[in-house]
Amino acid sequence: MSNNEVVIIDYGVGNIFSVRQGLEEAGASPIVTSDIKLIQSAKKVVLPGVGAFKNAMNALNALKMKDLLINIANEGVPFLGICLGMQLLFDESDEFGLSKGLGLIPGRVETYPLSIDKNQPIKIPQINWHELIPSEAHIDWKNTLLDNQESNDSVYFVHSFVANPVHKNHKLADYISGGNRISAMVVKENIIGCQFHPEKSGRAGISILKNFMKL
Amino acid sequence: MKRIRLIARLDIKGENLIKGIHLEGLRVIGSPSEYARKYYTQGADELIFMDTVASLYGRNHLSEIIKLVAKYIFIPMTVGGGIRSLENAIDILRLGADKVAINTAAVARPNLISEISNSLGSQAMVLSVEAKKISDNKWEVYTENGRESSGIDVIEWLIEAENLGAGEVLLTSVDFEGTRKGFDLNLIKTATDSISIPIIASGGMGEFQHFHKVVSEANADAVAMADILHYDRMTFKKIREESISHGINVRKYV
Amino acid sequence: MGQIEKKSIKDIYKLSSNIKFCKSCVISNQRPRILFDKDGVCSACRFAEHKRKGIDWNERQNELSLLCDQHRSKDGDYDVIVPGSGGKDSNYVAHFLKEKHNMHPLVVTWAPHIYTEIGKQNLTSFVDSGFDNILITPNGIIHRKLTKAAFIEMGDPFQPFIFGQYSAPFRVAIQYKIPLVFYGEDGEVEYGGAMENADRASLSYEDFISNRFSSVFPSSFEKYGIKKKDLEKYELSSNELSEIKKLKIEQHFFSYYRKWIPQENYYYSVENTGFEANPVRNEGTFSKYASLDDKLDGFHFYLAYIKFGHGRCQSDAAHEIRDGHITREEGVALVKKYDGEFPKKYYQEFLDYCSISEQEFNEIIDSWRGEHIWKYKNSKWILKHPVWLDK
Repeated sequence: MSNNEVVIIDYGVGNIFSVRQGLEEAGASPIVTSDIKLIQSAKKVVLPGVGAFKNAMNALNALKMKDLLINIANEGVPFLGICLGMQLLFDESDEFGLSKGLGLIPGRVETYPLSIDKNQPIKIPQINWHELIPSEAHIDWKNTLLDNQESNDSVYFVHSFVANPVHKNHKLADYISGGNRISAMVVKENIIGCQFHPEKSGRAGISILKNFMKL
Repeated sequence: MKRIRLIARLDIKGENLIKGIHLEGLRVIGSPSEYARKYYTQGADELIFMDTVASLYGRNHLSEIIKLVAKYIFIPMTVGGGIRSLENAIDILRLGADKVAINTAAVARPNLISEISNSLGSQAMVLSVEAKKISDNKWEVYTENGRESSGIDVIEWLIEAENLGAGEVLLTSVDFEGTRKGFDLNLIKTATDSISIPIIASGGMGEFQHFHKVVSEANADAVAMADILHYDRMTFKKIREESISHGINVRKYV
Repeated sequence: MGQIEKKSIKDIYKLSSNIKFCKSCVISNQRPRILFDKDGVCSACRFAEHKRKGIDWNERQNELSLLCDQHRSKDGDYDVIVPGSGGKDSNYVAHFLKEKHNMHPLVVTWAPHIYTEIGKQNLTSFVDSGFDNILITPNGIIHRKLTKAAFIEMGDPFQPFIFGQYSAPFRVAIQYKIPLVFYGEDGEVEYGGAMENADRASLSYEDFISNRFSSVFPSSFEKYGIKKKDLEKYELSSNELSEIKKLKIEQHFFSYYRKWIPQENYYYSVENTGFEANPVRNEGTFSKYASLDDKLDGFHFYLAYIKFGHGRCQSDAAHEIRDGHITREEGVALVKKYDGEFPKKYYQEFLDYCSISEQEFNEIIDSWRGEHIWKYKNSKWILKHPVWLDK
């Protein structure tokens, strides 16, 4: 596999076409597949996802991909989870009752916090563009996917549940909503999650995908 | 202050971008993909593509256009018109769209809303409502691109749809659309007071003041614009500038 | 009312029993006086092509300017009569003459049988946008009798309107001594009929004479309590005809001078005269912007459907196809969906207006049913040869 190849996991969930388009725009040659062998030999992996956590995990299990993905991630292959794909990286989720995730990053997926600001009630699903801010761990964005991010650029979020990593230093970036901090990007070594959709965030998103391809 | 999304709405018939008044008559504006690209580069937050002749033929014809624009447009896209089943919705999303907007088929079979929402997520299921005023605080749901009355009360329908799992509502006023006289503020406000999912106001924007009112007085979460953009009377840049100077929270885009 | 005699539509209108459809639009050869050429294309479509390619519209614009120059008053008195109802077409004509040619139009309205809300509103908006208007409303009793008589004896309750609307503006022209009357389109030419006058700007004096109600007025009308004298308001008298000749009053067609596209008239009248389309579609069709002001309108179109097999939708679809706004495929789908839809909204009002019962209504309808168009099957009347099944 050459340097600009990346495998997008096709497990029947998520708007894969856009993710592919976004990666192509970022200069990659994406391969969309559910083929075990191809996934095993991937140099970079993207796990997209839209919809319900439980359905997604059921789909991964049915395709016998769960352990495969865990192994690849543990081998150090750059692994990007997008939207629901990010939520799947965690231990478990409260959506539609308790469901187990991939357990790659310690933490839980929980309901979107209510607004603490009376003037700003939250509507669920949260569908909007938000600016990214450094998380409380204040991790330097240089050499991460957010390298060269313009401070005023927003990215596009669509979600009803939020990922809450256990460890502060796994949080790379947040956004503010209803007076609360919401995890926007998480990172644990080679494993990265974007709650937002980089393939739907205009040039700010494409920049993030380009940085992923540089890893 | 909540952030407002600025959305370009493209009504399409066959190969053409069109625009009508009261959902009637249709001037050809130009190529849908060209206008889509233009609005993307000008900073639209989202695009909505509506197939206006779909109901007549019983199917949506926008796949070619979506396939094409998905190659160079990297913001959310909603597709509506003639979508009748979960299969239709899945097909459209596979081509690069993010959400489907459904009106006629949902009115005929409300459970379609849950089917789509459960399978693809509520955020993918936009309920499109064409509202015709009956009396001061009552509106009736219209279908088939504003041609058929349904006898259904708009507000009751919105509440039912939210319960069934719709993630968002695209609310178009049949009385105001294309007239450039502003939005039906009473309609939008009554709707935003009645449900808790986001509402996109559509139909009637003629100048910035209309946008200001529908957001600050009627509490719309997003505004879909067509006529004002297609006839080049305002650009997204100008709308953002005016928003900021009027204290309306919008995404910054340069 | 007595037994109603069944009419032979084929004979009365000289129609072919072999139903054919235009290859280009959706009109059938059952529309009276329409012609199909050897390629199966109707005369109205050919005329539409002629409009697109065969006419020098700049030249026509010059002719219009000259005509207006000849007639324009120097002191602001009325110099042109525009027959109109507050509808999109007459609004466009009056506004255009006033704003672009500095004319001083007087708009003359012959009242509809029963005004719709939107019709009244549109006339008011139009007047409020800066136009003078004379509204002429005929004697209610006579008008109702005539409507009923026309419905039964002519198969069209709308004839009294059509004839009255034709003569009233000329009566005003005589009174005010205005020699120019500007109608909208030449219907025969635009929608397919007698094509020998395809490029005429105005009607000749002989045409005036032949357009008299009494020439088609059957003596059988007398049994409805209508006297010949009652017809005076519906047609021009011989005195009036002499006056027209003396004052050199001319009727011109706007469609001769400017390319006639109904949808463009719609946009123009919305943008300039406060015109509003029906927010809901008109019964029997998909469109919302045409013929909005009379509650009885739907019955005129419905009778055409019964006689010839094509109703309002077919007419609307046909001109939209010719103007390039919809494809033939869409036109066919629209006709299948909407044509012949019963105008039930004002049905009771129509029955009351004509003082007839539902049963009488049905008998009258059946007496005008095109015998070669319909067949009775499974207790229903269905079209023998609809456009959507045509090969």
